[in-house]
Amino acid sequence: MVFGRSKAAVLVAVAAVAGGCGPTAERAPAKSQAVRPRVVATTTVVADLVRQVGGDRVTVDCLMAAGIDPHSYKATPRDADRLAAADLVVASGLHLEGKLAELLNRLGRRVPVVAVADTLPKDRLLPVATDLYDPHVWFDAALWSGCVPVVVEALAALDPPHADEYRGRGAAHAAALVALDGELEARIASIPDGGRVLVTAHDAFQYFGRAYGIEVVGVQGTSTESEAGLGEINRLVDMLVERKIPAVFVETSVSDRNVAALVEGAAARGHVVRLGGRLYSDSLGETGGGGDTLAGALRANVEAIVAGLTEKTTADADPAEQAPRPAAAGG
Amino acid sequence: MNPPACLAAAPALTHNTLVVAAGVAAVGCAAGVVGSLSLLRKRPLIGDAAAHTTLVGVAGAFLLTGRRDLPTLLTGALVAAVAGLAAVVLVRRFTRTRDDAATAIVIGVGFGLGIALLSGITARGLPGSAGLEQFLLGHTAALTARDAVVLAVVSAAAVAVVLLGLKEATLVAFDAAFAAATGWPVGWIDQVLVTLVAVMVVVGLPAAGAVLVTALVVIPPVAARQWTDRVPTLLLLGGTFGLVAAVTGVAVSAVVPRMPTGPLVVLAAAAICIVSLVIAPRRGWLARRRRQITLEPPRA
Amino acid sequence: MPTLQSRLPGPPPREADVADAGKFVPPVVEFHDVTVAYGGRPVLWNVDLTIAEPCLFGIIGPNGAGKSTLLKSGLGLVPLVHGTARFWGRPLAEVRGRVGYVPQRETVDWDFPVSVMDVVLMGTYGRLGWFRRPGGRERSLARECLDRVGLIDVADRQIGRLSGGQQQRVFVARALAQEADIYFLDEPMAGVDARSQEQIFGVLAGLRSEGRLVVVVHHDLRTAAAWFDRVALIDMRLVATGPTAEVLTPANLRRTYAGQVDLLEEIGQAVAARGRTT
Repeated sequence: MVFGRSKAAVLVAVAAVAGGCGPTAERAPAKSQAVRPRVVATTTVVADLVRQVGGDRVTVDCLMAAGIDPHSYKATPRDADRLAAADLVVASGLHLEGKLAELLNRLGRRVPVVAVADTLPKDRLLPVATDLYDPHVWFDAALWSGCVPVVVEALAALDPPHADEYRGRGAAHAAALVALDGELEARIASIPDGGRVLVTAHDAFQYFGRAYGIEVVGVQGTSTESEAGLGEINRLVDMLVERKIPAVFVETSVSDRNVAALVEGAAARGHVVRLGGRLYSDSLGETGGGGDTLAGALRANVEAIVAGLTEKTTADADPAEQAPRPAAAGG
Repeated sequence: MNPPACLAAAPALTHNTLVVAAGVAAVGCAAGVVGSLSLLRKRPLIGDAAAHTTLVGVAGAFLLTGRRDLPTLLTGALVAAVAGLAAVVLVRRFTRTRDDAATAIVIGVGFGLGIALLSGITARGLPGSAGLEQFLLGHTAALTARDAVVLAVVSAAAVAVVLLGLKEATLVAFDAAFAAATGWPVGWIDQVLVTLVAVMVVVGLPAAGAVLVTALVVIPPVAARQWTDRVPTLLLLGGTFGLVAAVTGVAVSAVVPRMPTGPLVVLAAAAICIVSLVIAPRRGWLARRRRQITLEPPRA
Repeated sequence: MPTLQSRLPGPPPREADVADAGKFVPPVVEFHDVTVAYGGRPVLWNVDLTIAEPCLFGIIGPNGAGKSTLLKSGLGLVPLVHGTARFWGRPLAEVRGRVGYVPQRETVDWDFPVSVMDVVLMGTYGRLGWFRRPGGRERSLARECLDRVGLIDVADRQIGRLSGGQQQRVFVARALAQEADIYFLDEPMAGVDARSQEQIFGVLAGLRSEGRLVVVVHHDLRTAAAWFDRVALIDMRLVATGPTAEVLTPANLRRTYAGQVDLLEEIGQAVAARGRTT
């Protein structure tokens, strides 16, 4: 009953906007010639990508603020207006923005909409079901660099005078991502064998695990919409105790209620599990913090994971709350 | 707290399972007892009205205090539930609508408002707001020991209040006119019952979620009613059925993979109810059919 | 015949009893200028009625005349637009324990899971007060009341499994258990078989002999003429009140029950017959 109502709400919103949408389509071409192109990105991760490629030449507006869960985000009529008034809409794709699909479909007729992850070769993606893939591709920096070309092309088409600039920045950013990839792999490798297990609230880190050699277990499934059953909780507690995993991790955009239950369950069996810190998963951090770019967020995550899993007795590293780190090269 | 050695032999009796079972069992039992009273008073819909306005309270409490711990959110839910029930009375009094229509109005408006607030909070991405929507469907499996203690204490208090005022509640439920004529404050007694139902609905939110929690208050008492014609027995059976449903739901979800606990508890209660409706002596469907058959006139 | 009160040890005397200790104060009910309206429509208008001394008092009138309403307004169950109701010169709130009530039968849910004994015990709740359970004293009182109405054999039966007459007697027993001095009964004989009616009347007459006042809203003119010592004729207003023979005259009855001539003849005969036997 609930999801029916929310779908209806989105449909009403979309209908209301579509009704008033006609005139803006004619205005769009005139805009891009006069002022900087206006790009609206759905998630903070995608917004970061567009900023890295576009630089000062484009205005990037992000639909979802930091800390919002994109799996369950429902658009408001204001959001629909913002999207419709954009020159270009960039989404992550692969059904990450589960509740925005219909809105983005309708928008596609009037405003160019690009779903960056949809362009990645399917053989490099992790399937979840038939024709359904895990959308959290940004955790594999090298894989994410494969999304750069489509952004470059979209910006070039929108703003041809600066196409070369976009291509240059794009290439630089892709190279930086590949370098970051190597750096992260080395850092994860520093965790002793047998201790490389990442337990988090939901299954966002499969690409991370595959890319950097760490086993990943999520309490909920790949979408935060599913409810964890008692069987899952028990199974995870068993695993935590048997393999003596020292830390579990919470996420900035997902409830840590499930994780608290795991910690308590393990404690009851005599195994102390720390809360290893709050990881960036479906969202980057607040602007001005160390985690407001993808590179910053990934580095912060890895540091927290390494700290948590190598059983240091320092205070919990919490990337989301630390002071801004000195900017690393190629960020 | 480790389970004793003999119990540990059973495959699924972990700390988490015991904590969840204890919390949900307390809620199931108390909801069954309180719900039996409201069944006698012929006001089953008040549970529904309370349940659907709790979301407004959960969202409101988070917005006002920025905190996400269970007692804070449940306090907000309780305030909203009581306000919703008061709204039903006001709508009835000032617009001359019938009781069930007024309740339906409050249910619709309250639920819509609650969903709107929750969506607004999610959309604005306020820090710590993730997981508020779990109050819609419950997050039973993630109950911690502290949560279970809160649930158990509130449940015990609710049952104690019911037992203390059982004679007054029965009198008012049976013959409110006589009660009023002999000097009992019927309005106040009703208000206490209504508040108890609101409390049980709120306390049941983590266990079953806003959408299903009414079921905990309505279904076990209906099942119990089929088996007895005495009020104390009705309450005892209502509490027992609620407890059994809770433990069954938890047990199944601990053993069968990928099954959400809250809905399973409700399904277990429904199963008990259906069985009761069919096989109960005298009131059950089978028993009534047998009576019908034996009453047929002999053929000439 | 000894009163129930004098036979059983009772609760400590209340203020009202202490004030009048030493003398028997006859019960008095006074309705003064009572006006009641439902949604703007008047149902009772300027009713002035005083009922004093122990007697069996009937409130008679056609359907919809406001008889039940008069009773309920006295008990505070319907709001008074105007006027007061006093018991021994006091408002009801001060003397609640001394006024008993038997409501109309239709308002009860017969499927409710209570037994005959449970219902009669409810009459004792007023004296028990908050949170105390009925004990041995209350149970023996209840059994006595059941015996008095002839229902002691069905004490454990659920109330839905009784006949109409038995159901009515349960509520009379409950009222007896209140040990009140004034009793209000609302249509106690409606839908009850003749034998049960006689039985109930016997109980009410017994109450009168004990010095209590019994006020009964009644619909049947024939039995009214035979049973009640005094009556009030109500048709939104008070038409007449006083001893039965004086009130139930053809003239008064024509004013109240316009057009039911045959009935009037029968009434006249019944009144005359009673006058001969007393």
